[in-house]
Amino acid sequence: MDQFIQRIGAIAFLVVVFIMSGCSSPDGSIDQQDALSGDNTGSSQGDTDGSNEEDSEETVYVELPPIEVREGDGLPLELPSDLVWQTNNEDPEFGSPNAIRGGMFRTWMLSFPLTLRIVGPDSNGTFAYFTRANQFGPVSHHPQTGRPIPLLATHWAFGEDGRSIFYRINPKARWSDGVPVTADDVVFNVQFLRSKYIVSTWSNDYYTDRIRDVKKYDSHTYGIQGADPKPPEEMHYYYGIGPRPKHFHRMSDNWVAEYNWKPDPTTGPYHIGKIEKGKYIELVRTENWWGEDLRYMRNRFNPQTIRIKVIRDINTAWQHFLKGEIDTFNITIPEYWHDKANHQTFKDGYIAKYWFYNQLPQASTGVFLNSADPLLSDKNIRLGIAHSMNFQRVIDTILRGDYERLETFNVGFGDYDVRSIQPREFDIKKANEYFEAAGFVDRDSSGIRTRTNEDGNTTRLSFRVTYGRAIHTPRLVVIQEEAKKTGLELRLQLLDPTASFKQMLEKKHQLAWMGWGTSGVAPRYWEHFHSINANITQTNNITNHANPAMDELIMQFRASGDRQERVALAHQLEKIVYDAAVVVPRTKVPFTREAAWRWIELPKGLGTRHSTALFNSQAPSQMFSGGGLFWINEKKKEEILEAKRKGENLDELVVIDETYRN
Amino acid sequence: MLDSQTVKQWRRFRSIKRGYWSAIVLLVLLGLSLVAELLVNNRALIVSYEGNWHFPTYGGVIPGSTFGLDYDYETNYRELQQKFKEEDNGNWVLMPLVPYNAFENDLQTDSFPPYPPSIASKHYLGTDSIGRDIVARLLYGFRIAMGFALVLLVCSYAAGILVGCAMGYWGGVFDLLFQRLIEIWNTIPFLYVIMIVASVVVPSFWTLVTVMVIFGWTTMTWNMRTSTYKEKAREYVNAARALGAGNSRVIGVHILPNTISVIVTFIPFSVASGVASLTALDYLGFGLPPPTPSWGELLSQGTDYLDSVWIVSSVGAAIVAVLLMVTYIGEAIREAFDPKKFTYYE
Repeated sequence: MDQFIQRIGAIAFLVVVFIMSGCSSPDGSIDQQDALSGDNTGSSQGDTDGSNEEDSEETVYVELPPIEVREGDGLPLELPSDLVWQTNNEDPEFGSPNAIRGGMFRTWMLSFPLTLRIVGPDSNGTFAYFTRANQFGPVSHHPQTGRPIPLLATHWAFGEDGRSIFYRINPKARWSDGVPVTADDVVFNVQFLRSKYIVSTWSNDYYTDRIRDVKKYDSHTYGIQGADPKPPEEMHYYYGIGPRPKHFHRMSDNWVAEYNWKPDPTTGPYHIGKIEKGKYIELVRTENWWGEDLRYMRNRFNPQTIRIKVIRDINTAWQHFLKGEIDTFNITIPEYWHDKANHQTFKDGYIAKYWFYNQLPQASTGVFLNSADPLLSDKNIRLGIAHSMNFQRVIDTILRGDYERLETFNVGFGDYDVRSIQPREFDIKKANEYFEAAGFVDRDSSGIRTRTNEDGNTTRLSFRVTYGRAIHTPRLVVIQEEAKKTGLELRLQLLDPTASFKQMLEKKHQLAWMGWGTSGVAPRYWEHFHSINANITQTNNITNHANPAMDELIMQFRASGDRQERVALAHQLEKIVYDAAVVVPRTKVPFTREAAWRWIELPKGLGTRHSTALFNSQAPSQMFSGGGLFWINEKKKEEILEAKRKGENLDELVVIDETYRN
Repeated sequence: MLDSQTVKQWRRFRSIKRGYWSAIVLLVLLGLSLVAELLVNNRALIVSYEGNWHFPTYGGVIPGSTFGLDYDYETNYRELQQKFKEEDNGNWVLMPLVPYNAFENDLQTDSFPPYPPSIASKHYLGTDSIGRDIVARLLYGFRIAMGFALVLLVCSYAAGILVGCAMGYWGGVFDLLFQRLIEIWNTIPFLYVIMIVASVVVPSFWTLVTVMVIFGWTTMTWNMRTSTYKEKAREYVNAARALGAGNSRVIGVHILPNTISVIVTFIPFSVASGVASLTALDYLGFGLPPPTPSWGELLSQGTDYLDSVWIVSSVGAAIVAVLLMVTYIGEAIREAFDPKKFTYYE
């Protein structure tokens, strides 16, 4: 009944808006009405002479409809009195007391963003990292202990149903324009993400399907209900929705265009300051930032300004770095660490090299075998292929022994990991056995195995490998040459990244050389292995793996709110993935390597267990709040530049930190 | 019997030393590249094993087990040579000059590619960033590039000459129509087409040739059109017509041979542009798929690994040398066929 009234209210409101806009601009109303109702019959009338143009473009702003709640869902109307409010003020601080405030940190990006919006078309570029990082959620996770830490919220509590969570917003919290953050902003955020005006079907679906209700209890208390129960440890990650500045957004059909270059006020330490379109963007530290004294925010986010300059080529960026026009540079790639970063500037000690091991979910990289392919549906062939891929040789030669072999599909989720499974090694004998078991006993003149059936048709053991990154060609070439030894031919198909991914999603590949980015708290199986996603296009089950027994376990895994049970299920699932041999896991990079001019200084331990990067200027690194630890030592900068001018050398500095090496 | 005009042209060509020697060197190189398998290859030329001689160069893979090795994949002849030497019981292996092919990665355990040139390891120009021999990549790449340029030349000239001749010969509306058509066709940016094609399918040798012919045949039409117009108005054409020759005979027997100098002078430059465009496409990553040996790919590696100067310098020198030679030949041919010297107007 409530919902019905809400809906009627919303319609009535829209009607009022129509009438009002009609009164104020009689000429323009036709166009707007058309746009909203989707009726085009009157459009010619709007297309009059220039004098009316301004009127006809006037935007109609609408109020978003209230949150719709489905049957069976919904948070309690009153805040439950038996909630156990929790907080965390016990974990160690990780900012350094030696940190110095101020200065400008200079970094770079490959292209200028197409928009400064956080959602909507084109908002998923690299720059989004900087805008999103400064929109704080209610809590984050401690980068050492992994436990939740207060961010915007001071306290949190879990609902009885196992899928609701309640937060109390810190009354001190302010947007960067000075307006207080309230529970209304959170409710608005869900309305916003569900609205059609943001032109993001993904958001619309996700926040309707996965988030079932959001309710304001008082100006600083709110609750969120998700679709499925989750273990409390993982609930913040899935359902911990933060605010969006309600006072800032006026919704209309024109929202996407209107807010394209209007950055949202932020709750994080930085907001966008100066913009030089096509050249650079500056993030400026918010004056009297409300979070300054939060326990886990102290001594962090030290630079006053962060300038992100557009440099369209990585080699050019490297030259800028060597000249000292950029402060730090990621040198994880072996060529950089071993060759380029042996430049004289490094030897003279002006730039330091850091090799820091971390513990993070690893991208699920591998060779994905399309089991819908007639040959690849044979498990013997899949096993033979797995034993024909010499990743160790790639690691030992091209990758210079730095990277490590990825053991299983999912790695890096703590106790979810299955340590008992070892990846299938390159083994000519085993590969030969499997291929022979599949009937491939002969070899043709080029040494490739063949199979001849009763009709006399000969099939060659030859597969297409689709991939999208030219930088991987050297690795594939080594794999390809080695595979010939077992009589397996691999034909390399390098497409541009979009086309290659498209081919995989359309399941037109044979072997897909690719990787799924991972983040979050737990492995994901449904999208990659559930049969519902097999043999249809545009799903992430690119192996077309379908196994009813596995489906059942996957659904149990999804529905379970008990962490121990989930861990046990994940172990079973990972074993099934291994046994099916539809993925040959590739390599992992359990570290970050970076170069920095010596005036950029780091805390004692360099980084945290979960640091994705050492010179990450913003708060999040994956789901943990571990960034913004470094600072700029201006005095040292002058000294180093002076020494460089005079040609005086410092001691070379190469730091290898294995504290968090497994 | 050659007619006197051709003999004169040939003499004139020979007298231009730069072009003449370039032609000889380039032809020798082309010849050598055709038998590249005998010169630069990881397969032995001759293996003498227990009294039997094997010639592995051409033909199927000979598994290691044939020579008493413990594996079934292709024999590693370099290792075999070493082994026979150590055993010293009459077996021997004769390897080509450079014992590597263009695809294999000769990776050493104690250091990382690219390896610098070394006589000891027989990588005379070093290796690229994945340990493939540069001499092998250059030679096989040269064969592919020249093959590409020649196929491209034949196909686009065939289409260009045909259409150009027809335009010049019939003139009028037909000519007008085709002129406009070609003008429109020429405005299509062909590099973008290649990029689009390359992003959707893996371009093979023949798809690249096809796309380049489709967009490249038009250049020749303009020249052929003008020369045909010119020749058509000559009296010998009228005479042939008066004697009752049909269109195809007039064009094929009378006009075409008289426009041959135009065609021939363009050939070397077309070859140069064919080689250059394949190299450019490979350099940009829109050319032949990896791991095809290619100069463009080597050049792009060279620019990525500027510190390993042997990569960029060898491929750079090779490109400059070949293009220079082709241009010298073109120059000499143009001189030799210069109508001011050998055509007599009445």
